[in-house]
Amino acid sequence: MPTPQTIAQTLQQDSLISLEQAKVGCEFHIRFLNGPACERLRQMGFCESMRVKKITDGRNMLCTVCGTKMALSRELAHQIIGQATA
Amino acid sequence: MSDTMDTVALAGNPNVGKTTLFNALTGGNQKVGNYSGVTIEKKSGQFFTPHGRKVRVLDLPGCYGLGGESPDQQIATRILMGRDAEEPVPELIVNVVDASALERHLMLTLELIELGHPMVLALNMIDIAERNGIRLDPALLAEQLGIAVVPLQANGGKGLIELKQSLRRPLPHAASAVWLQAGMSEEEKHLARVKYIQDTCAIAARRPDAAQVAMSDRIDQVLLHPFFGWLILLVTMFVLFWTIFRFSETPMGWLEAGQEWLQAKVSTSMAAGDLNDLLTQGIIGGVGSVLVFLPQIVMLFFLIGLLESSGYMARAAFLMDGFMSRVGLSGKAFLPLLSSYACAIPGIMATRTIDSAKERLVTIFVAPWMSCSARLPVYLLLVPLLLHEPEGGSTRQALVMTALYAVGTLTAFLVAKVLRKKLGPDPQKHHFMIELPPYHKPQWSYIFRHITDRAWAFVKNAGTIILAISIILWALQTYPKSTSSDPAEQLAHSAMGRISQSIEPLFRPLGHDGKTGAAILTSFAAREVFVSSMAIVHHVEEAEEESQTRSSLRENLQRSTWPDGRPMFTTASLISLLLFYIYALQCLPTSAVVARETGSWKWAVGQFLFMTVFAWVASVVAYQIGSHFS
Repeated sequence: MPTPQTIAQTLQQDSLISLEQAKVGCEFHIRFLNGPACERLRQMGFCESMRVKKITDGRNMLCTVCGTKMALSRELAHQIIGQATA
Repeated sequence: MSDTMDTVALAGNPNVGKTTLFNALTGGNQKVGNYSGVTIEKKSGQFFTPHGRKVRVLDLPGCYGLGGESPDQQIATRILMGRDAEEPVPELIVNVVDASALERHLMLTLELIELGHPMVLALNMIDIAERNGIRLDPALLAEQLGIAVVPLQANGGKGLIELKQSLRRPLPHAASAVWLQAGMSEEEKHLARVKYIQDTCAIAARRPDAAQVAMSDRIDQVLLHPFFGWLILLVTMFVLFWTIFRFSETPMGWLEAGQEWLQAKVSTSMAAGDLNDLLTQGIIGGVGSVLVFLPQIVMLFFLIGLLESSGYMARAAFLMDGFMSRVGLSGKAFLPLLSSYACAIPGIMATRTIDSAKERLVTIFVAPWMSCSARLPVYLLLVPLLLHEPEGGSTRQALVMTALYAVGTLTAFLVAKVLRKKLGPDPQKHHFMIELPPYHKPQWSYIFRHITDRAWAFVKNAGTIILAISIILWALQTYPKSTSSDPAEQLAHSAMGRISQSIEPLFRPLGHDGKTGAAILTSFAAREVFVSSMAIVHHVEEAEEESQTRSSLRENLQRSTWPDGRPMFTTASLISLLLFYIYALQCLPTSAVVARETGSWKWAVGQFLFMTVFAWVASVVAYQIGSHFS
């Protein structure tokens, strides 16, 4: 019988998406980074537990992180995993 | 006062205003812009603290962390970590941060504190932070980080005295990295830094409601629009080039009038003879025919400076990334290539911001094909001749001029695509990521200082290389003296006439005789010399009235014929000549910079040979096809 904590954990993992998949206009809460460009993403402000606002979609997407507007490719956005909160 | 001079290094993320602060502290005039990577090498200057102590200050290229990959970021990392053979570790680090984006910038701050150097935090751009509604508490920030924090606005000169006071002796102690614990892995260290930054910002830099739309966002909704954004970019580029030609006409007229006045004054104030001829025709005529293009060069640098300073350049790179990726480059290559329209040298140096070494090499290789300002004199001489109309801002001339720029640019993209494929993929794939800074009002003082610098470099070039070449050319076409008083016979008898004859076989397939060939040869050191060389080899007389030197030269060229009576400057031969100037790499300083940036003369020599052969072949093909149809 799974405990309530395990169920909550599974539900949370199920709701994880990449920034690439997140909808335009949503607030995205970064949980972890997964891919070869992690270090570079962290240096640019895409750190674990940071909040990102996705502004546009496309080949290169626009988003704001810590008040700074950033343009990043879909491939990089694919490596940013988290939850869309709004 | 101690004899030793402390060295202070300005370190921080790109585009936080380090160079603006450097200029404000030292009174210098280093180039500043509103996009990442304007500073691509370390620069040093000096200033005095309020206590009269002299301090050496280093302006380091921006870096996001101590493990950056691009060459400019590695320069900063090497110095900060004490691994630079020439530059010892600075006594003090001034970490410049953007107060409006502290969460991102403090990551480097914590890494720098961990290095164990004495440090001061320069909280720059407080005006923008205040405008964005961020509630900053510098005292709390200082307490959290354990270092002195100085709020400032470098571009307004605010907070500079306080910063200078904080650099006095005794220097502050190095802060301790309280967020780290013994035995932490790199991953754990990173998470600890993130947590500490979030806690710090939560109390010392509180943000307003995230939904608040700033003015920059509203502007971006239009400028980065998938359709209107492109339209505005194209219109901006067109207006940029149109403005250069339209508004520089009047000052160019003044310079020409000044040159004619000087020639007349010198000519009438001394006896006729070789010295008179050397001064009026050789020196004033030769140097003047190049100096007359100064207004256009000033205009070009002013407009590019305006775009850089406002923050639009980064948006242009974002828009261009999709297009550039089709030729194997990224949006980051757009800024160096656009700068190359002004001058290939800063363009090539700006490639240091490109992460991929192969992409950087390809960008360096094709950058000289962006028609730089030195080609303008040649285009302005030849285009009206091609269209059989006087020089002026006609639509036809503007269209041909645009086509010349387009031919160079398209060829550069095609060659880039081929070369990028040939070099193969990067060992580690680099994806596009760029910071879009908030729009700023242009910093007029720095734009004007930058223009003054570039204009002075151009005038210095005219006063040294071009002056020397003008004198040599004058001597070559004056000696040995012939007994005839006919200028044409004198020219044929002179050393220049003989050289022209011997090199003619090389230029005949291009539709040109030895005289044009000689003018082309002289312009291999600096291509703008071509106009003065042509004026000298075609023996253009000083005009009696206010007629322009180029008009006289054009009239002379229109009259030029081959020995069998055929006109020499036909549509085909002029197109061939224009193509040669689009493609040939005729700039020694550019080759020197390519060698330095690629770390190999082989690459510079290969580029020179490739471009020269390419130019010759393209000109031959154009002339042969053109003459066949005409």
